[in-house]
Amino acid sequence: MSYLVCVLLFGLMVGSVGVASNPSPYFAAMGLVMVSGVGCGVLICFGGSFLPLVFFLIYLGGMMVEFAFSAALSAEPYPYGWGNRSVKMYVAAYVLGVGCAWKVLLGKWSGFWGGILDESGELLVLRGDMMGVAAMHDVGGWILVLGGLGLLLTLFVVLELVRGVSRGGLRTV
Amino acid sequence: MTPIQMTFSTNFLLGLMGLTFHRTHLLSALLRLESMMLSLFLATSLWALQLSTINIATVPMLVLAFSACSASSGLRLLVATARTHGSDHMQNLNLLQC
Repeated sequence: MSYLVCVLLFGLMVGSVGVASNPSPYFAAMGLVMVSGVGCGVLICFGGSFLPLVFFLIYLGGMMVEFAFSAALSAEPYPYGWGNRSVKMYVAAYVLGVGCAWKVLLGKWSGFWGGILDESGELLVLRGDMMGVAAMHDVGGWILVLGGLGLLLTLFVVLELVRGVSRGGLRTV
Repeated sequence: MTPIQMTFSTNFLLGLMGLTFHRTHLLSALLRLESMMLSLFLATSLWALQLSTINIATVPMLVLAFSACSASSGLRLLVATARTHGSDHMQNLNLLQC
């Protein structure tokens, strides 16, 4: 099981290097999809049940859909993938930097791979993180209301930003 | 530092460095901002899971909600840029230059 965590952490690093090196947004969104899928797996390996599902749902189903159709606004005829020379140089620089940082900072560390996996050893329905989110609805009711009001405000902000015709953030287009 | 903490810390720093050394598109800068928020979600969720402090599990949910707000605002600015400048290339955003 700790090898699975190793593989997933490696997948996280590969995905985030793929986003951070400067490909075209089509491919950077693919890297972010990989990071969110693998991050969901990492959270599951550490005992979560509700939070990884929320993570997967919101990042893949919410944000990546938005970024995918906004990528049509940044269309170009020859998008830079990871085979392009300048992108490969960024990838090499980031991999080198991450490798040096890992060597320096993890060099003194020895032991197992930080594996809190499961304390009880049996299948549970109500896990800890689900109880934490339930606490947000129970004693944290006001922050939930404030968060909802903030999201509603963001909706109106966004609508006003793209209104156009000399009202809002655009010129008369 | 255990490997998992190292992983999300380097994930955050890689997103930050990618945001600093952006090249052409505004959308790729927004994507790196999203990867930073993703690493923050991972960090706070692992805090709740590894240390068994269950009430901290509210923090990733709220961080996710507000990062969705910021992502949507950024994307609407991208739409506005594409409508006025024709594309989202950063070199077109030069109205403050002489």
